[in-house]
Amino acid sequence: MKKIMFLAVIFGLLAIGMIFAAGQEEGAAKEVELEIFHFKVPWIDAWENLEDEFEAAYPGVTVETEISGGGADWRTLLKAKFAAGAGPDIFIIEGFSDYQLWKEYIEPLSDQPWVSHLLPNAKASATFDGELKSMPLAMEGYGYIYNKDLFAKAGITKTPATLDELAAAAKKLKGIGVYPFASGFGTWWVISNHFTNIPFAQQDDPMGFIEGLNNGTEKIPGNAVFNQWKNVFDLVLANSEPNPLTTDHNSQVAMLANGQAAMIQQGNWKEAVLYDTNPDLNIGLLPIPISNDADAGRVPVGIPFYFVVNSTSEAAEKEAAKNFLSFLVGTPEGQRYVTEEFKAIPAFDNIPASNLGGVGKDIVEYSKQGKTIPWMFSFWPDGAVNEFSDAAQKYAAGIVSFPEYTREIQAMWDRLK
Amino acid sequence: MQTVRVKKPAGSRQEEGEGEGEGENERVGEREGERVGNVVSVLSGSRKRRKGSRGNSILTRQDSSFWMFTVPALLIFLIIVQIPFFIGIFYSLTDWDGINSAPDYIGFANYRELVNDTRALGSLSFTLRFTAAVVVLSNVLGFSLALALTKGLPGTNAMRVIFFLPNIIGGLILGFLWRFVLIQGIQAIGKTTGWAFFQTPWLGDPTTGFWGSVVVFVWKTAGYLMIIYIAALLNIDKSLIEAADIDGAGKFQTLIKIKVPLLFPAFTVCLFLMLSWAMKLFDVIFALTNGAPYGSTEVFALNIYKEAFVYNNYGYGSAKAVVFFFFVAAITIVQVWATKRKEVQL
Repeated sequence: MKKIMFLAVIFGLLAIGMIFAAGQEEGAAKEVELEIFHFKVPWIDAWENLEDEFEAAYPGVTVETEISGGGADWRTLLKAKFAAGAGPDIFIIEGFSDYQLWKEYIEPLSDQPWVSHLLPNAKASATFDGELKSMPLAMEGYGYIYNKDLFAKAGITKTPATLDELAAAAKKLKGIGVYPFASGFGTWWVISNHFTNIPFAQQDDPMGFIEGLNNGTEKIPGNAVFNQWKNVFDLVLANSEPNPLTTDHNSQVAMLANGQAAMIQQGNWKEAVLYDTNPDLNIGLLPIPISNDADAGRVPVGIPFYFVVNSTSEAAEKEAAKNFLSFLVGTPEGQRYVTEEFKAIPAFDNIPASNLGGVGKDIVEYSKQGKTIPWMFSFWPDGAVNEFSDAAQKYAAGIVSFPEYTREIQAMWDRLK
Repeated sequence: MQTVRVKKPAGSRQEEGEGEGEGENERVGEREGERVGNVVSVLSGSRKRRKGSRGNSILTRQDSSFWMFTVPALLIFLIIVQIPFFIGIFYSLTDWDGINSAPDYIGFANYRELVNDTRALGSLSFTLRFTAAVVVLSNVLGFSLALALTKGLPGTNAMRVIFFLPNIIGGLILGFLWRFVLIQGIQAIGKTTGWAFFQTPWLGDPTTGFWGSVVVFVWKTAGYLMIIYIAALLNIDKSLIEAADIDGAGKFQTLIKIKVPLLFPAFTVCLFLMLSWAMKLFDVIFALTNGAPYGSTEVFALNIYKEAFVYNNYGYGSAKAVVFFFFVAAITIVQVWATKRKEVQL
């Protein structure tokens, strides 16, 4: 008897499920499902609210977002989606190399209402093959995020802007029993994209240097800027936590937030999680100096990613995708997310940067003074970010000397270009 | 010579006084044994037919119920393994980046490139060293556990379950768990105790990266091999052991002269399993080290994955995969052939 009751319940549930499913299918004829893919994992909670607000403003559109990032290979996932014929309607690219890869799927966006409000340098970097094809949202900068309270405790009065000042600060910090740096060199993008970007971006003509490497007129071994950069590399290695190759970006955040380390090489994307972990944290951003020149302290500021619309999506989905992007940067509701929730530095002149944390404020300050250098890693050949990480980790572990390291990355460049 | 026919004689259960849970484990071992047995007999099918032994290889079976049950599985196998395999061979002759809709045919250029790819050769060498280490350690450990757990000691069933459990955990989860244990856990112990062994940077240099990977994979697989060995050990005819005993053979002599030769079908299976698992390993390493530090623990499967999906050289990655397929196939066929020659027929 019990068994029959159980079966009846199951069948009943199945029947209800089928009716429900059928109802959904009928509705789907009118509804547009907008699929979005990006890698900003820290935005995950706010993004859901943003979806709700957008859905309320545009009835008939449902938003489905997949967020994959942190340490994950988001490009692989994105490729798999396209290979399966399920490419999202909005996805992201990191810059020029990605554009080359995806260009047949990228819709031009030059007719969008927000274009006139883009900051000039953001607009320039979002333009590919002579046409605006992507939407930058925010600018990001990185350097050494430092704990101001620990600096004060160690008696450091002037914020270090040159190599020697940084070395002196590290010595004082060691004196009060904290690790001056939590290197995070176990995470490939920390040691590769961001750290190895420094000698590329500090060249007199960074773009010319890349072209020179591609046509063989420039060489990495013996390059003066690379040799200067070695000094700050060695400084970090000598003053970081033990076993830097086993510390990843999450450990960096933990070590800074709990006061074990005084500086981490990270950017304003980590600010939200830092304040989440420790709301009382008093932090700011230092540049990564490679010499003792007065003007050595420059912060690498760039556009971390660009939203693009899938040109192979259905017309209604493309329409919804463009509406979503306009909603995000063109309406007060959407703009609130950019500044309040994502704590981002907007790439638009009509979105005032408010509610920035200590790191974000410092980045804006460096930008105003023109003390910035570009992000050159999006011009590296495919795969270079991974291989440069291997090479730099070998140097960090003391397996190869610095000249050997430079020869190795030169060989990698020549093979991958 | 049917490999690992591990069905027990009816009487053995009472003799051993075993419980229910352990019978469960045995059936798992039995199924796997049969599956691999089939693979093995397919691999060596021609030899068998020539010798004119029992001709019920799947290639000669005629009755219709056999095909009725096999065709659905074959169809699925065809669709998700065979056809993609040939598509992969096609892509290996192109310069496809994985996204572009019109790849160019470039002939065997990808295969020629492989000879000079030091990174790929390095990861092949890691894969071979890793395979050698885990094949030996996992089999030794699995066999030792099997010997210990067929002695009828108290708690035997619970122990068998415990040693088998790591196999149930998925490779990725297991990799992440061990990553935490080796990096955070061991260092925490090192900090409290001050012992040098616990202060070494596990997974932080090539040596600890290698042994860390080996430990994790042996931990995962040894329990599985144990089950196969237990099944085979219990299958040995008690009269043979008794006869050896009466003839005055010691425990060690019985093991070497009687048990080991009779267990050779199980060795064939276990070596085959470990060789192919270890060489094709991906998930555990992906989660545990992802090739770090500096690519020194990059198994070949991970190298292929990175080439195809991270470096955007899908064509070249496919070429590597094709070469790797023939490489693994050649090694495992030689191994199966070599161990099968040693199998004893009664």
